[in-house]
Amino acid sequence: MKRMEGGTSLLERLERPTDGRNVDPEQGILTGEAAGQVVKELATAHPVPNLLTTIPSRSGPAEEAPSYYGVPVLKAPVWLRTIPLYFYVGGLAGSASMLSAAVELLDGRKLAELERRCRWIGMVGDMVGTALLVHDLGRPARFLNMLRVFRPTSPMNVGAWVLAASSAMTSASVAGMLLGRRGSMLEKLGNGASLAAGVLGLPLAGYPAVLLSNTAVPVWQGTRRTLPLLFMASGVASAGSLLELLPPHSARERSVARRFATFGKVAALAASFAVEREARRSEVVARPLRQGKPGALWKAAQVCTAAGLALSLLPGRRRWRQVASSVLSTAGALAMRYAIYDAGDVSTKDPHATFVPQRQGLGAAEVAGNTVASDGRPLKFPLPVVS
Amino acid sequence: MGQRGFFTDTTLCIGCKACEVACKQWNQLPDDGFHFTGMSYDHTGHLGASTWRHVAFVERPLPLPGQQSGVGDFSWLMMSDVCKHCQRAGCLEACPTGAIIRTEFDTVYVQPDVCNGCGYCVVACPFGVIDRREDDGRAWKCTLCYDRLGEDMTPACAKACPTESIVYGDLDELRERAERRVRELREVGVTSAYLYGADAESQPGTGGLNSFFLLVDRPEVYNLPPDPVVPTMKQGAMWGAVALGALGMAAAALGAVLLGREERA
Repeated sequence: MKRMEGGTSLLERLERPTDGRNVDPEQGILTGEAAGQVVKELATAHPVPNLLTTIPSRSGPAEEAPSYYGVPVLKAPVWLRTIPLYFYVGGLAGSASMLSAAVELLDGRKLAELERRCRWIGMVGDMVGTALLVHDLGRPARFLNMLRVFRPTSPMNVGAWVLAASSAMTSASVAGMLLGRRGSMLEKLGNGASLAAGVLGLPLAGYPAVLLSNTAVPVWQGTRRTLPLLFMASGVASAGSLLELLPPHSARERSVARRFATFGKVAALAASFAVEREARRSEVVARPLRQGKPGALWKAAQVCTAAGLALSLLPGRRRWRQVASSVLSTAGALAMRYAIYDAGDVSTKDPHATFVPQRQGLGAAEVAGNTVASDGRPLKFPLPVVS
Repeated sequence: MGQRGFFTDTTLCIGCKACEVACKQWNQLPDDGFHFTGMSYDHTGHLGASTWRHVAFVERPLPLPGQQSGVGDFSWLMMSDVCKHCQRAGCLEACPTGAIIRTEFDTVYVQPDVCNGCGYCVVACPFGVIDRREDDGRAWKCTLCYDRLGEDMTPACAKACPTESIVYGDLDELRERAERRVRELREVGVTSAYLYGADAESQPGTGGLNSFFLLVDRPEVYNLPPDPVVPTMKQGAMWGAVALGALGMAAAALGAVLLGREERA
């Protein structure tokens, strides 16, 4: 485009309008920082705000727990409903990989069928998990940008690397199993990859909990010491239950799967109570796990896990009982992930869930040891009225 | 290049929203729809993907200390909120792609051509500033007019502010100016004036804010957290729990194989 102001030739100077309309046409080109922001539907991008929940004149210091018209201070998670499903799949795949590595390490022969099955579960799980993750991105085509840096402070980055490495290892272990003949180099490489996949399976099952806890969302941050234990225990229960559902090749295999699943169910149930206990350090933080839809889902998850455990501990071995137990445990593991995710969503919408625990000393004070809040007054709630 | 930032003095804010308009215009941000919220004169609501400045309006049922009002017990609080450009930024530390960077002006900037829209920064911000736009798929927030700073220009909001409630400049100078202002206010009777997030000492959870505020009431009243913390500071406990869980998982797998393989049909 020709610049009108910039022209210096005689012709250009003569062509220049003299009626004050000498506007540089380049001014019309959108070059601002956000000019590239894609806008399709305004109504869905910015829905009409909810009705007021607090009376405006009450938002002053007269109230014991002030807020800004009850408007959320934090942004709600923007992830799709498939993300809790990814957490489930990741836990399942990681635990199956770990079990496969344990078999490889201790007893490759007697439980070869179980090991093969676990390798398959690990690989398919990693593939499905990766697909679910990519699907959730705002710009799925840029998925590989996750691997352009290594950033230990970002659990999502660490998780992307773990998932990538785990996918490579589980795939290599399956490839070694399918292509390598007995005693061949290829088979040995596959076995080595299986051990590596087992080690990577541990963080694969645990990192989603760190990813959730490493946020400002009160209920996720407030349960950071127990949430990883819950996710990992539940991953073991999920993998064990899936193995129990599939027809076993031998009595040994059934016994291993049963023990693995039982350990997971007991640990998951115990960890779920530990999570509740940790959240209760601040009543307002624990609220989403007790009330409303996430609260109901959380209770349902606990009941399913407990029922699954009880059924599997009953004496006698009936197939229907085993199936019922595994289905209940799987339902419990899924419901638990959705309950945690939804509780976080509800938690961000309550400004007091952010304010109150910080006044209780559960904000920066917990790690930085400061005794005063950012307004220079003691971390105490309610504050003494200063005139 | 030195540390640059904003000092927003809420006692000078008259709620004209010129900063909101200037920001929208300069950055060519899409509009947010035209809704009435019922929250005093605030029809913007909160900061978001296409709102990088937001003026909050608080109607208090009590006067400012040291001031008399013609309408009885009443006072206005207005504050132009913006991205805080934290010294330890939750969004930056959470970003898995390295799209969020710290610039030569010590500000926090999202590179739109790198962001893959994972949405992790959205929940990592302890102030709820950054957001992902549904239809765009990427995260957006105040750039502190990165494109203007490079040309030695003042950010659009500070340029447009008619009362110098928003001041842009070198952080050290801003802090000095802010402390002087607090002293002045206290001398004339506004004893509740204080600086929010001026340095790491007063806000250890963020290491101090590059855009800090002068407030006269508790932070909650302005929708600011009283003791914000970058989530990464608490990460040690989380990975510790993962290590413990890993031991448990390994024990479960090895134990199940050891005990289960002895089983006979």
